[in-house]
Amino acid sequence: MEVREFRAGVRAWIDEVGESLVPAIEDQSVESVAAQLNHQRRVQRLLYDAGWMRWGWPARIGGLGGSPILRAVLGEELTCRALVHTTSWSMHEVLGPAVAEFGRPDIVEDIFPRLLRGEEFWCQGFSEPDAGSDLGSMRTTARRHGDGWVINGEKLWTSWAHHATRCIVLARTGGTGSRGISAFLVDMDTPGVTASPLETMAGVDEFCSTSFVDAEVPAERLLGELDAGWRVAQFILSCERGPIFWQRGAWLAHHLGLLLDAAGDGRSASALGEAYQLLWAFRATSKSTQDRIGTGDLPGPEASVDKIMIAAADQAVFDVARDLLRGDIETDDTARSRAWRREWAYSRAATIYGGTSEIQKDIVASRLLGLPRSA
Amino acid sequence: MTETQTIDAAERALMAETLSGLAEDLDGPELVAALDAFGFADLLAEAPRDAVPALFTALGRAGSMSTSLQDVLLQPLAEYLPVSTTECNVVLPGIGADLVGTTDGHVLALRGLVIGARPAPTFLAPVAMRGELAWVGLQEFSGIATRRVEGLDPALAMTEVTGVDVAADLVVTGERAVAVWDAVATAGRLALGYQILGAVGAMIDLAVDHARSRVQFGRPIGSFQAVRNRLADAHVAREGAAAALASAWDADDAHLAGLLAKSLAGRAARIAATHCQQVLAGIGFTAEHPFHRFLARALVLDSVLGSATELPEVIGAQLIAAGSIPRLVDL
Repeated sequence: MEVREFRAGVRAWIDEVGESLVPAIEDQSVESVAAQLNHQRRVQRLLYDAGWMRWGWPARIGGLGGSPILRAVLGEELTCRALVHTTSWSMHEVLGPAVAEFGRPDIVEDIFPRLLRGEEFWCQGFSEPDAGSDLGSMRTTARRHGDGWVINGEKLWTSWAHHATRCIVLARTGGTGSRGISAFLVDMDTPGVTASPLETMAGVDEFCSTSFVDAEVPAERLLGELDAGWRVAQFILSCERGPIFWQRGAWLAHHLGLLLDAAGDGRSASALGEAYQLLWAFRATSKSTQDRIGTGDLPGPEASVDKIMIAAADQAVFDVARDLLRGDIETDDTARSRAWRREWAYSRAATIYGGTSEIQKDIVASRLLGLPRSA
Repeated sequence: MTETQTIDAAERALMAETLSGLAEDLDGPELVAALDAFGFADLLAEAPRDAVPALFTALGRAGSMSTSLQDVLLQPLAEYLPVSTTECNVVLPGIGADLVGTTDGHVLALRGLVIGARPAPTFLAPVAMRGELAWVGLQEFSGIATRRVEGLDPALAMTEVTGVDVAADLVVTGERAVAVWDAVATAGRLALGYQILGAVGAMIDLAVDHARSRVQFGRPIGSFQAVRNRLADAHVAREGAAAALASAWDADDAHLAGLLAKSLAGRAARIAATHCQQVLAGIGFTAEHPFHRFLARALVLDSVLGSATELPEVIGAQLIAAGSIPRLVDL
C-alpha cells in the first residue's frame, strides 16, 4: 500500500463513517481517562474492522504489512481532526513495536491483534520513585523462581496502569547500572500487582504508582535476552520518536488552528507565528526521522533533537492558547475551557516525560557535538 | 520549485565539495571569477535546490563573499528585463522596510541594500507606486547615490542605494510584479538562510572546539552542564532551521515556507551567537579570534528580508488570513 493511496483511503473512510466518529473532545468527559479509553476502544475497533488499524504492522502479528509510515499517517489523519485523543492513540505505538520485536512469537501472535482491536491497553513500568532520569539506578528485582521469575518493587508514572491488561516491566536480574536489567511482559491481573492512580495537576487520573509484591511471571514472558532489558528500553524510547511524535504534532497543529479565530492584532499574530514556526521546525525535522523509520532504521541520538523540538513546540502552542483565549484557561469552567485547561496542563509535562529535555540535551552534547561527558 | 531538476548524489557531493573548497580558499573578485569558470549560474538554472544549499552554506561557513546572491535574485526577473541579467543588481529593502521605496507617481524616494553587488550599471528595485507594487530600473544617472556600507560586518560586500527624487523606468507592474517580488524574496530568503546556517555552523564549531580544550576547575568546560546545554540549544536551533530550509523546496506554499525557513535561520543565528559567544567568553570577544566575523555575518543577514523578530508576525498574519494551519509537506 502506497502512502498516498493509504492517506486518501483513510480520509475517504473518515468522511464516510464521520457520523459515528464523534470528536474525542466531545465524546468524553474531559476529566476521565476511563471515558477517553472507551472512546479510543470504539474508534480502534471500527478502524480494525475496516483494516486501517492493521496497516504498517507485519502480517505475522496480525497486521497487513506495509511501511510503519502508514501508522504515522493514520495517527495524523485522526488526531488532526481530534477524532482520537493523542495520548490514548499513542499507547499501542509506545509498546507495540517492542513486544512485536522482542516477545515470544506465539505470545505475540495471540495478544497483538487484541491490542490493535482496542481490547487491551498496555502500560510501561520503567521509572521508579528513586529512578527517573537515572533509569539505570532502578531497584525493582526479578528473581528466579522455579522455571519463571518473581518480581518485587515499585514503579512510578505508569500511565494508565489501572486500565491496562499488560505492562512492560524493567527489573534487575543482574549487577548494577544499566547492565543486568531485563524486560518482562507482565499481566496486570497477576496476584501481587497493584496499580494506585495518581492525579495530575489537571486532576486527571493519568498515571499510577504500581507495586509488585512477589508477582510471579512465567519464563516465556522475558522480552529479548536476559540482562539485555536496556536494549528493549532504548528500543521503546526510539519508537516514541516515530509515529507518536508525528501525530502529536498534528494534534498541536489542530489546537493551533482552533486559536486562529481568537487572534487579531499584531501581537497575537506574532505569537501564533512563533508557535507555528517551532511546530514547523519540528515537523520538518521529524519528517526525515519518519522517512528513516520507514526504511527500517531505528532512530539514534539524532532523535533527541526531535524530542527537544516537539516539547518546545508543545508548550509554545498551549502558552499561546492561554494568552489568546484570554482567561478561559484560568477562570472559565465550561467543558470547552476545561478541555483547554487539561491540554495546557498536560503540555507542562512535555519537557519531562519520555526523557527530560535536560537528558536529551546531554545526549546531543555528547553524542552529536562530541563534548566530553560530565565528570 | 518542486519540478526543478536535480543531480545524483555523487555529483551533488562532488559539487558541494568543489564549491566549499572555492569558498574556503577564495574571496571577493577571485571567488567570483572561479564561480564563473565553474559555471555556477548554469548550475543554478538547472538544479537550484542543489546549487543554492551547497554554495551559500559554504559561503557562510567560510565567511567569504561572492556576487552569487545576485544570480539567485535575478533569476525570477530575467524574462522581464530588456538587458542581460549580468548588467543588473537587485536592490533589497533596507533593514526593517517592506520595499525599497514609495512614489505617488511623481517623486520616487528610495533606500535599499545591494548585497554582493557586481560591476553593473542597472539597479532593479521593488517599490510601492501609488500603493501598488512595481519593479523599477535605476541607473547612476537616475539620481541615486550609492555608498559602500561598513557597518557591523564590513566584509559583507554591501552597498546602500538611496535617492530622494529619482527618475526610474518601469520594468514590471501589476500582478506580475507582485509574483516576481514573491519569487525574488523567497529565493533570497532561502539563499540567505543557508548562508546564515553556514555561519551558525562555524560559530558552533568554534565554541565546541573551545569547550573541549579549555580547562577550568580541572576539567574541560564542555563537561559542565551549563555549557553543554547552551551548545545543545544552538545545535537544536540549527537543525530546525536546516530542516525547514531543506523542506522549503518541496512545500506546497513556497512563499510561506521561505518566510519560515528565513525566520528559523535568523532565530538559530541569535541563539548560536548568544550561546557560542558566552562559551567562548573573553577570547571570543577579541578582534583576533574569528568568532565575531561569523556573529556579525549571521546577525546582519538575519535583518535582511525579514528578521527573526519581524517574520513571525508576517507568518501569523498569513495563518489568520488563510484560516488554517498548513501542513506544507506530507509524509
